[in-house]
Parts: sequence; C-alpha cells; structure tokens
Amino acid sequence: MLRRTALAATALLAAGALLLTACTGGGTSPTPSSSAEPDPDASAVIRLVLEPGNLDIRETSGAALDQILVDNIYQGLISRTAEQDIVPALAEDWDVSDDGLTYTFTLREGVTFHDGQELTPQDVVWSMTTRKNTPEWSDSSRLANVATIAADGQDIVLTLTEPDSSLLWNLTGRAGLILKEGDTVDYQTKANGTGPFVLDSWRQGDSITFTRNDAYWGEEAQVAEVVFDYIPDNQAALNAALAGEVDAVTGFDANLKEQIEATGEFSLVTGASTDKGTLAFNQAPGSPLADQRVRQAIRQAIDHDALVEALAAGETQYGPIPSLDPGYEDLSDVAPYDPEAARALLADADAEDLTVELTIPSFYSTTIPQILVSDLNEVGITLEVNSVDFPTWLNDVYTNKDYDLSFVLHTEARDFENWANPDYYFTYDNPEVQDLFAQSLAATDEGEAAALLADAARIVSEDAAADWLYTGASVVAVGTNITGMPSINVNERLNLAELAKSDG
Amino acid sequence: MTRYTLTRLALLLLGLLVSSVLIFLTLRVLPGDIAQLIAGTGSTPEQTEAIRERLGLNQPLPVQYLDWIAGVFRGDLGSSLLTGSSVTSELAEKAQVTVPLGIMSLTIALLFSLPFGVISAMRRGHGSGTALSVGAQALAAVPVVWAGMMLVVVFAVWLGWLPAQGFPRAGWNDPAAAIRSLLLPALTIGIVEGAMLMRFVRSATMQAVGQDYVRTAAAKGLTRNAALIRHGLPNVGLSVVTVLGLQVAGIIVGAVVIEQLFSLPGIGRMLVADVSARDLPKVQGELLVLTGFVLVIGFVVDLVHRMIDPRQREAT
Repeated sequence: MLRRTALAATALLAAGALLLTACTGGGTSPTPSSSAEPDPDASAVIRLVLEPGNLDIRETSGAALDQILVDNIYQGLISRTAEQDIVPALAEDWDVSDDGLTYTFTLREGVTFHDGQELTPQDVVWSMTTRKNTPEWSDSSRLANVATIAADGQDIVLTLTEPDSSLLWNLTGRAGLILKEGDTVDYQTKANGTGPFVLDSWRQGDSITFTRNDAYWGEEAQVAEVVFDYIPDNQAALNAALAGEVDAVTGFDANLKEQIEATGEFSLVTGASTDKGTLAFNQAPGSPLADQRVRQAIRQAIDHDALVEALAAGETQYGPIPSLDPGYEDLSDVAPYDPEAARALLADADAEDLTVELTIPSFYSTTIPQILVSDLNEVGITLEVNSVDFPTWLNDVYTNKDYDLSFVLHTEARDFENWANPDYYFTYDNPEVQDLFAQSLAATDEGEAAALLADAARIVSEDAAADWLYTGASVVAVGTNITGMPSINVNERLNLAELAKSDG
Repeated sequence: MTRYTLTRLALLLLGLLVSSVLIFLTLRVLPGDIAQLIAGTGSTPEQTEAIRERLGLNQPLPVQYLDWIAGVFRGDLGSSLLTGSSVTSELAEKAQVTVPLGIMSLTIALLFSLPFGVISAMRRGHGSGTALSVGAQALAAVPVVWAGMMLVVVFAVWLGWLPAQGFPRAGWNDPAAAIRSLLLPALTIGIVEGAMLMRFVRSATMQAVGQDYVRTAAAKGLTRNAALIRHGLPNVGLSVVTVLGLQVAGIIVGAVVIEQLFSLPGIGRMLVADVSARDLPKVQGELLVLTGFVLVIGFVVDLVHRMIDPRQREAT
C-alpha cells in the first residue's frame, strides 16, 4: 500500500512539474488594474487545506476551527491582530490594575447575535464561568487563575488569585469567546456568534459558506459571501487556481511561485507564522535520547539552512520560541550545523551506530524525513521513518509517549507552557525552566515577562530538549483582484473583515 | 430456481452478518480514538477521558457491537459522533455524487470496451487488432491518479472546457454544471476500468471463436464473423455480466481515489475523512452499506446469470 502510494505520488509530481512548465510557457495576461473598485456583492472563494470535523468551538480542538470561526463568527471581549497586537473587540476598552489582579472590560452596547438576540453582560459572565468550570471545553485551564467573573452595568470585572501575564492573550483565543447564555443552537453543525460573518451552510467534505452579517456592530464586511473550499490535495488546489476556480489559495507550495505568478492572475504572498516544525526527542530514562550529548549531536547534524531552502519558505528557529512571539531571541549559536562536532559528541556518549525511529504524521511533506535521514546518516545515525496517520500519532506519541523522535508542526502561538509541563509528550523536565516560566506568568510588566521567557527558552535550547527544524511561513497565492487577504499566521487565524474583491 | 434463490439469499444475509463483525473489529484495531482528536494537542488526559466517557467509548466492545447491530435491525445504521447526523442521511447526500459518478464511469467503460474488445478479437493477427490490444494493455497499466492528472491538465487547465475539481454548490439543481464536473472524473475511472474490461471482452470473444457451435455455424455456411456475432456474442455477454459485478467494487475503490483527486464531496472522500477522524460509528455504518451493496450486486448477477444461461437453468 505504502509503495503504491509513493509511486502514485511520484508519478503525480512528475506529471505536475512537466505540465506546469508546459502551460506557463505561453504569454502572460496583463495584470488587472489594482485601482478597481471592490464589489460589495462579490463572492470570494478561498482554498483551505484542513476541514474541521465539526464546528463545536466550545470543545473540539484544532486550528481548523479557530482559523475560520474565531473573529469571523465568534468574538471575545478582545482580539488580536495578525501582527499579534491585542485590540478591542466586544469590549470597547479595558483596564488592568497595577497589582495585576483585577481586569475591567467595558462591554459594547447594541451588539446582537446572528439570530437577533442581544448580547448582555450576563452572557459574558456565563460564557467565561462555564468555560472555566467545564474541563471538556478547550482552553478551560487557561482561566485557572481567574477567581471571580462579575458584571457591574456594562463593566465586566475579573479578579485573579495571582497575576497572569498571559491572561489577555488567552482571552483573545478560545478561552475568551462569548456565546449566548442558554443558546439552543446545534453547535456541532451551526453557529451563533457576534462577528462580521454569519455561517450560511456547511457542505461536509466540500465547503463552508459565510455570508455578510448585515446587522454587524462594527464596519460591515466588504464581500457578500466567502466560500471556504476544502481541497486537501495540493495538486488539485493548484489546478483549481490555474483554472480560475478559487480567489486565494492557502498552504501553497512556495516552490511553485513562478508558475502561479506567470498566469498573471495570482501573486504569492509569504507571511510570518508561529508554525513550529518541532522534532521532539523522547528523553525519558532508558531512551537512547536521554543523553543530552546525543540530542545535541542530532541538532548539530541537521543542516537547517538547507532544509529551509528546500521548503522554499520559512526561517530557521533554534529555540522553542518563534520570532512572532514574545521572548524570542536568535539562538543559532546554541546548535550550529557541524557534523564533525556531532560525530565527536556521539563518540563521547558511546552512541555510535545508533538507530532511532521517527514517527511523523503522513500529511507532512516527505522532504522533511528525507533530509533528516540523509543528514543523520552523515554522522552515523540510522533514522527509520514511521509514517502514520494523525490519530495514530496522537495515540502513540502524544498520549502514550511511545516514540524516539517525532515531528509535528505546532501552530499555536505562545505555547511555551508545554516546555514547563513535564507531563507533556516532550518528556522534558527541568525545574529551573518551570520556575522561570512561573515567574514570567506572575510578572506584571510585559517586558519583564518576555525577558524571563527568553531566559527559559535559552535553557530549553541548551538542554537540546528538542530540535526546531524551522518556523513555517504562511504561503498564500492571492488573486490580483483581491485585497485584505491576511498573510500572517493564516493557519491559526484568518480574519476576513477587510477582505474585498473587485471585478478586475 | 426458487430453492436456489432462497439458499443464495440466506448466504447473502449470513455474509452481511459476518461482514458486520469483521468491520466492527477491524475498525477497533486502529490506533487512536476520536476523543483524543477532539481534545487535541493542548489537552490533559482528564479532558480526553471526560470526552470519551460522554461519547460512550468506554463501553465494553460486545455492548457497543450489540447496540449497533440492534440499531441496524431497526433500520438505524448509526450516526456521527462529531456532527450527530445519521449515516443514512449522510450516505444519501454523498450518493448524489458517487452514484452518478459510478454510472457514468461504468457507461464509459462499457461503451468503449465492448466494441473495441470484440473488434480486437475479430481482427487479431491484423495490425489494427494488435494495436487495440496493446493500447488496452498500456491503458490498463496506467495509474488512475496519473490518468486523472492528464485529463485535468488538458481539458481544464489548457482548454478550459471542464472544471478542474469540485462539485457545484447548487448540486443537481444545476444539472449541466453537475454533469460537467463529473465528466473528467468519470472518464478517468471509465478509461482505466474500461481498458481492463476490454481485455476481458477480447479473451471471451476469442474463446467463443474456438467453440464448437461457432464452427458448426460456420460449417453450415455462415461467415466466421457472422457466426461469431450470432452465436458467440450472447456467450460473451454472459461472461461480461459476471465480471461487471466485480467491476462495481472496482469502481467504488476508484471513487475513493478519484474523489480525493478532484475534491468531489462523495462517499469515497467521506469515508477517508471519517476514518481519519476515527468517527467509527459512522465508518462502520457506511462500510456495512457498501459491503451490502457489493453483496447484493453479486446476488443479482448470479440470478441474472442463471436466467440468461439455459445450461445452468436445466442443471437445477
């Protein structure tokens, strides 16, 4: 089965490459004028890769839900911009007391849910309280430090048991989403929020359609309709773009930039992201990777620059924090590419002729394991690749921690907490890091919190707790008649409030 | 004949029951479960456990199986753990894509395999017959995916005649668009399946040529080709009907691949998505219906075979 799939994939790639060259050989059509007026009746079609299993924003995890539902359909008191700044949403503004223990939000008036019901301060109190008290709901634990949630007129007041420098950020995500109290909507297949778009229909296995919310409290959306077309296959997505069936393609293969731009209908936009290509090392006692020298050797055996070049997008990342997040610093000095040093470390650790297994979900590019196998082979490590489907990865690696090396893309922004959690599948347990992280959370000054995180991140990298192969980039092919398409971190959040399409 | 039908029917039901056990057990061997997927990579074991409990995944397997099969007998095939929608309604919706796709594929396969298969057998030894047979050999070896890619590039990307992927959102309310979107996928399956069928038709025809009754007819004054067409073809048809039953299963498998390639919202793509979501109650319901469908086709083929083949009728 595997061999047939591989064969089919090879044939497909070969054919794709050949034909692309052939069909882009012709003349390019003129670029439509960018001054064309946006069409308020426009319908924009956006290709996405991963379809949500259901739409239950309360409980079902996964970036596929956040990507389309948060900001567009559901909103919190506050939100964040693509540049990761915290901005007002359902709250007009907010205030944090000097001791960091009291947060006061002023709720907007005149906000209605999509079904016409009014948003009340009680809805806010109920939403947050319920989330805090329902462990099955996503990010419930992110409200752990919140002691009380109460409404005083339009003011929503949160008191904390101890300062929490991550609270505002957490409130821009699932933990802060406001639902209607006692709503009877079927959350699994329908939605009822306050955002600029209304869920119109979900054709499972195909597409999700949003329409403009004409009763929106803020500035109305600039397109009448957005269709998210779920096309998992990259080749099919490229064909759809070449045939003019989509207006924007996320998850585009940056290696195909010239081909798609030669059509004159698309330009390729590359934005930063917090997608961390994380090569986890199982360092539990007894594992061949329990020895820091072996882990360090693996890190130094990998040519990160070459890997980023092969992916044609993204940047190197030598520590747990990507450049978009607070606490980032350049840690390339910790594990520079040096196969000689790697060999010496392995000899020192008595770990020559090591054989280890890499568990990797099958939807990632095969470029990654190929490069790893060849780089590690250089220093005498045999890497066996175990390609599995995602539920198997979740079971074997995430839950049972039964692995040597594992690769997944961690897309969540500001998720350093996993390095401070010894029970996480990273199997990394360093009390010093845990202590620095706790101090960072308790800091009331943003700069101080970031500095503490940076210190902790350096230790994590020096311990070779994992290797970070690269920080991914958001690669989006955007139609030349489209404006306002987000380009930063689009796998995590795709705020379409500004999206516009002209006839051009 | 009635006795034969009844025996055959009992076998069919037994087959279904055995399939249901096999389907149920094989799915339980898959690592990972839906609770882990719902909880995701930011979850605690407690959170996953709470979801597992709520979904009833902690029930002993025999209890889960009996619950399911009792439902099946009541006409309830089960429902999705993710969306709550019933297997029956999901299948009915996706069948609007897959069934027409299958019918179109089969029609295309028959349209070119029957005439070409017979011609290539009748003209064997001639250049054209050899060319046809070599061509079919080559086509049958083509991977479905590659054939699809080629068709897309030529007809959708270069010529722009047909859509490259997807199914119209209006569905069959826009019949022209719906048929256009299924043409390339159906051609892809039809050509590859048809090439295999053509080789079969060819060898069945060649076999008929050597039969006594064809020789006798020829001896009585018919030309060899006329004898073959009058007396040989009915026998070829008989063999083709038998193979068609298998062909239907082949088309279902082809649909799984093709619906991915053309991102068509059909049964094949749904199955793949449901397995990746470990939505087992839904997958087992869908698989049972598909298995049932293939078994029923086999049953009907057997009956038809008996009806049109006088030798088998008399043997009873």
